[in-house]
Amino acid sequence: MKKKILLVEDERPLCLLYEEELSRDGYDITAVTDAEAALAKLGETEFDLIITDIRMPGKNGIELITQIMGLRKDIPIIINSAYQSYKDDFMTWAADAYVVKSSSLDELKAKIRQLLGD
Amino acid sequence: MSELRKDLVSGRWVIIATERSKRPDDFRPGGAVAPAPEAVGFCPFCEGNEAKTPPEVFALRTAGTAPDSPGWTVRVVPNKFPALTPGPPPPRATKGIYQSMEGRGVHEVVIENPDHALELADLPVDHLRDVLGVLQLRIRAIERDLHYQYVQIFKNKGKEAGASLSHPHSQIVATPIIPKRVKEEIYGADRMFRTLKECVYCRVLREEEAAGTRIVSKNAHFTAFAPYASRFPFEMAVYPRRHSAFFTEVRADELVAMAETLKDVLTRLKKTVGDPPFNMVLHQAPNPSLPLKRWTDIHLKSHWHVEIIPILTKVAGFEWGTGFYINPVPPETGAQFLRQP
Repeated sequence: MKKKILLVEDERPLCLLYEEELSRDGYDITAVTDAEAALAKLGETEFDLIITDIRMPGKNGIELITQIMGLRKDIPIIINSAYQSYKDDFMTWAADAYVVKSSSLDELKAKIRQLLGD
Repeated sequence: MSELRKDLVSGRWVIIATERSKRPDDFRPGGAVAPAPEAVGFCPFCEGNEAKTPPEVFALRTAGTAPDSPGWTVRVVPNKFPALTPGPPPPRATKGIYQSMEGRGVHEVVIENPDHALELADLPVDHLRDVLGVLQLRIRAIERDLHYQYVQIFKNKGKEAGASLSHPHSQIVATPIIPKRVKEEIYGADRMFRTLKECVYCRVLREEEAAGTRIVSKNAHFTAFAPYASRFPFEMAVYPRRHSAFFTEVRADELVAMAETLKDVLTRLKKTVGDPPFNMVLHQAPNPSLPLKRWTDIHLKSHWHVEIIPILTKVAGFEWGTGFYINPVPPETGAQFLRQP
């Protein structure tokens, strides 16, 4: 069965790129553009992994992962941000990996494989 | 009239605004208190959440409890997403007139206690001594690797002081170079040693103890005082009364006295200005195993100490532009308030 990934990314073009790339790799991708929508999806579906941006309108990614911890601590989370600086925030430790956005998705894909045990 | 005061070691000038000094109440953060732990939600440093940190490198724990599980009192973990990665530093890269090197080093977090709400000032002296003992152990372990020339210990308390998490913790950062500010301090101490023919810090300590006006707390082994050229309101320095360049040389009995002093001054700070955010920084000489040809007799000239900087004012354009600081609370006044029972 396909592993289910929840992608939280407010930039629509990036969302489409990730969806296309990760679906091609055999994952079932659900993409949302803000934290509230992500929390709603988490109530509906059992995801195997979450990828989230940090800077988003409304709740940011760190607030989102903090809330997710209150629901489920076992779900692997990857922070995918364009900014290194959020690494200084110890709340990012709630996530399992921190991948800085780049034009190549190799590092992100490697982390997904590692965390899903593929 | 305000007064310009020079710090003996750094040579830095501070403007002390003596004519219109502020009172402690002027800095109280509107009666605001730190958020209750339950309001914080998830915390990766709390007991029970050990799986969310990298494996511990050291912990004081109850006999029979497994690493990375509950049952600890002080826990040290590497930074999960470090800016510096351990390993020998590669050669510096040169690009035109610019130089760079890879970010090699150690970055560890010392979780001071399992309870989210217990600040350093709230801990029993024995527990505080344990925290200090763990810091000594980690410094010794890191300094075994000569790639790490300087080990910096610091604590940021409160968001305004740079803390991203309210669970009490300190940080250890070891760098493959001696940071500029540390070098400046060594140069300053060296210069003053040649002038005074003795350790400048020992001399300062003697002068401060004799004058008494800036003393905040004192016991057999440590003296806490507001430095003569304090840059910030209620700034404090904690000096060991026995000369030593290295924090790792503090003996067991002295460690208890240091814990008592820290607890005392942090409690006084809390009472005086209402639990302000602060930075606490350990100053010490570089890795003692390094062959430091440039700084002979560094162990005689350097004197380890702790600096406590409450964040009550903002550093603004004038300070950044000139390197002058304007301190609205004369240290004598600050110390007087802090000394009050």
